[in-house]
Amino acid sequence: MIRDMARARTTADAFNAIAEPHRREILALLKGRERVVSDIADAMGMNQPAVSKHLKVLREVGLVYVHPDGKQRRYGLDARGLEPVHGWTGGFEEYWSESLERLDTYVKKRPREEER
Amino acid sequence: MTPDTALSDRELMVSRLIGGPRDVVFEAFTDVRHLSRWWGPEGFTTTTRTFEFSEGGVWEFTMHGQDGTDYPNWIQWVEIRAPELIVLRHGEGPDDPEQFSSTFFFQERTDGTRVILRSEFKTKELCDRAAEEYGAIEGGNQTLDSLGTYVTARWE
Repeated sequence: MIRDMARARTTADAFNAIAEPHRREILALLKGRERVVSDIADAMGMNQPAVSKHLKVLREVGLVYVHPDGKQRRYGLDARGLEPVHGWTGGFEEYWSESLERLDTYVKKRPREEER
Repeated sequence: MTPDTALSDRELMVSRLIGGPRDVVFEAFTDVRHLSRWWGPEGFTTTTRTFEFSEGGVWEFTMHGQDGTDYPNWIQWVEIRAPELIVLRHGEGPDDPEQFSSTFFFQERTDGTRVILRSEFKTKELCDRAAEEYGAIEGGNQTLDSLGTYVTARWE
């Protein structure tokens, strides 16, 4: 019923980005620490160009940032990119908080003649 | 059930102070012309097929999401005690095996009306799922479902 409630069209790419298992693995690796490409590639048993491609996708949707550090480029997790995903998974509480918020607005605005 | 008894692992509760007298707040639950103005999160609209506000009566409606997705809804009022309590069954249809029971309590306050909603699901699993993705339709997009859960679990 509610699953797509707050899914914003303009940022829906975050969903595509994390639909790919390797990219989710990269995000998990970046949680809590920055890493360089070679580090990620080693941890995943993938080659660097493949990892770089995934990182590019993740950067484009704002899930990952890059931090130039001398000759190295360190990648980190940008949690703000996950906001549309959190919104989209709206559960019971979000649904009813929003509904009751609307109810409050409606009750306050109700024209007097409608009151019996 | 009272609003104050402890929640079981099959129940969810939400509450909010509404800025109006109790009879006005209660009335907003009793008629489609009111309900359609506030029921559902921001951006949702409803189309009603059947509406009869009485014990045993049914409200059949479709909720339209902003992205064009339609969500079938079926509600049957089980108990109506104006202006203090409404108990209803809620699902996608009369035969939906995942129907759940919801109780709205309306409490008078000096600054308005406190509305308390408690919903009881048939199993803990259904309850947990509703907490994450309320009323979600099975089979639509499993990948994204599991992703949502995955992401929430990881970053919370």
